[in-house]
Amino acid sequence: MDNKGSSLKGSLLLLLLLASNLLLCKSVASLPICPSGAVNCQVSLRDLFDRAVILSHYIHNLSSEMFNEFDKRYAQGRGFITKAINSCHTSSLSTPEDKEQAQQIHHEDLLNLVLRVLRSWNDPLYHLVAEVRGMQEAPEAILSKAIEIEEQNRRLLEGMEKIVGQVHPGIKENEVYSVWSGLPSLQMADEDSRLFAFYNLLHCLRRDSHKIDNYLKLLKCRMVYDSNC
Amino acid sequence: MKENVASTIVFILLLFLNINLLNGQSPPGKPEIIKCRSPEKETFTCWWKPGAQGGLPTNYTLTYHKEGETVTHECPDYKTGGPNSCYFNKKHTSIWTIYIITVNATNQMGSSSSDPRYVDVTYIVEPDPPVNLTLELKQPEDRKPYLWMKWLPPTLVDVRSGWLTLQYEIRLKPEKSAEWEIHFAGQQTQFKILSLYPGQKYLVQVRCKPDHGFWSEWSPESSIQIANDFTMKDTTVWIFVAVLSAVFCLIMVWAVALKGYSMVSCILPPVPGPKIKGFDTHLLEKGKSEELLSALGCQDFPPTSDCEDLLVEFLEVDDSEDQQLMPAHSKEHLDQGLKPTHLDPDSDSGRGSCDSPSLLSEKCEEPQAKPSTFHTPEGIEKAKNPETNVTRTWDPTSLEGKIPYFHVDGSKSSTWPLPQPPSQHNPRSSYHNIADVGKLAMGTAGASATLLDKTDKHVLKSSKTIETGGEGKAAEQREVESFPSKTDQDTAWLLPQEKTPFISAKPLDYVEIHKVNKDGALSFLLKQKENSDQTEKPSAPEHTWSETWISILKIASMTH
Repeated sequence: MDNKGSSLKGSLLLLLLLASNLLLCKSVASLPICPSGAVNCQVSLRDLFDRAVILSHYIHNLSSEMFNEFDKRYAQGRGFITKAINSCHTSSLSTPEDKEQAQQIHHEDLLNLVLRVLRSWNDPLYHLVAEVRGMQEAPEAILSKAIEIEEQNRRLLEGMEKIVGQVHPGIKENEVYSVWSGLPSLQMADEDSRLFAFYNLLHCLRRDSHKIDNYLKLLKCRMVYDSNC
Repeated sequence: MKENVASTIVFILLLFLNINLLNGQSPPGKPEIIKCRSPEKETFTCWWKPGAQGGLPTNYTLTYHKEGETVTHECPDYKTGGPNSCYFNKKHTSIWTIYIITVNATNQMGSSSSDPRYVDVTYIVEPDPPVNLTLELKQPEDRKPYLWMKWLPPTLVDVRSGWLTLQYEIRLKPEKSAEWEIHFAGQQTQFKILSLYPGQKYLVQVRCKPDHGFWSEWSPESSIQIANDFTMKDTTVWIFVAVLSAVFCLIMVWAVALKGYSMVSCILPPVPGPKIKGFDTHLLEKGKSEELLSALGCQDFPPTSDCEDLLVEFLEVDDSEDQQLMPAHSKEHLDQGLKPTHLDPDSDSGRGSCDSPSLLSEKCEEPQAKPSTFHTPEGIEKAKNPETNVTRTWDPTSLEGKIPYFHVDGSKSSTWPLPQPPSQHNPRSSYHNIADVGKLAMGTAGASATLLDKTDKHVLKSSKTIETGGEGKAAEQREVESFPSKTDQDTAWLLPQEKTPFISAKPLDYVEIHKVNKDGALSFLLKQKENSDQTEKPSAPEHTWSETWISILKIASMTH
């Protein structure tokens, strides 16, 4: 009887272990070092920044390719660029426009700025994926990239929040971000207008992803390598 | 009138225009902005291409306005970038902002503007090549040598603050090679090359690319000479080995030259030729059968009294009659012999080839040599063996033309070689032997033809001429004459016994058959077997030739 009981316990334990392992494995994929919710997990700033930079670099590459493909396929000869002047929804966010300005800004402010921009793109990216999917002859390349960018953007946001949590612990900033109101444009009946709306959105995405990438690299060299990359 | 005035005005205007055109003057053509580049994402330069000049000095201006601004600015610097360029310094450069740039060309006649160009500095970054490329050949003690190359980022690019992140690429090749070997170096400013060919001069170049921009140009070539030193050891060893091998080869050659033949014979002993004991091929070639045969251990051939084993066959003839057959001395017989031309294999007739004496010569001329596979050695050997088939007894050599019994020499006076008593008797079967003998003779004749020398042939020829019996003697005489000294040899034919065979009515008579001549003519010698007592009566020989033949024939018929 005892043996039976102990063996039962043993098997239950095993099952529990197995289940927990599986769960952990799943979560590991997204946050390999710190399971979600852990407070005392301390990943080094260097590692956080390295990962952030990798993500931001990757996102910009995807955005750039997506824009180029769209431009080549849909926007030739339409002169969209002339109209896509000063039409990004994030232009209200006062971001540095050159190196000097970027170097003068305080790293915390810069971090917050990055967070704001990232947050501003959550909604547009979500709708972009939905609308590209609904396009006639949905271009697979553009759609897949949009999906990937959306996911990576979310991860980068999480990482940045961690960095801010380490650099600036305790201060919870109001979540400020720019609101995107371009959805109606993406759903317009007029094809030309709709295409321009897409063009504009992709154009702004390319730019903002580049900004984020640049700022993070500046921050990394400044904060982790002491301006000696 | 009004029409005239109007037309006149038009005409004048046209004339004016034409004059201007003829002079080559016109408003400037439309310029075009070719390229805008930023080397470090802090400044940038634009270049344009003028349009048609129009023959008049043209003034170019560049105007621009930025995204989100309404103010139009003019190019701050036309010089720094070279002719037809506009340089925007740091103050005038904004990143993540679209510039709308236009070039205007103006001359006396008019002006023209280029199409506006939308430029965002973010995406036009193309740095300068890396600088200070240094090459160094490192040779650690226990490892292979390698090429260590270092460089610095271009001077204008700010990498330290992270404003730009550069990636590098190097390429190298041996000086004379046509293809470059390209390696991606990542973000590091150094690189090691391990696979080098010694003794070569290498050329190396490096270039860089910003994180989201264009590749720079290749840097100027740096070269380095890879020394041969580190292979010295191998080379020395190889030279040493080569020298040793050469010395060894020389020694071998010298030894072979000196010893030469003896060495060769030591390695490759000469193959002994076929040899019969006591048989000397030289003698054979010379044609001296006598010597040859003597070498064999046999004094003479046909066998003399000494060689009892060397016997011709004996033809046993059942002779009931009291015949006195011609003893051997009837030489005439010899020549013609019985030409065994048409010997029947199964004929016991003893006729041999010729049935009648009259036909003897004619018929017997026919057969001639039927070549058989007769060789000298074989024949001789067989002759030694009395038990062997008759066909074998004759030694073709002996045939060599010398009709043996023409041995004039008196030592063996009896021309008919006396037969040795055969070791075996073949009663009644005798004529069979004749047939065989005939064949033998024929074969031998053929074979012997090769052996005969000229003189022999001559002899035979002459023997042939013997036609009828009447001539026999004469022929014989001729033959005898034609035989030079060889007759001595011919004694081989003669049976050892010189007893004149004298067959006296005995039940069994032996016919001693000799091969007489080439023609295959057989010569018989009827002999009395067992006549060992040898009632030799040399007196017998007075029989004529024809008589002898008749008697023979009688015998032959009897046996049938």
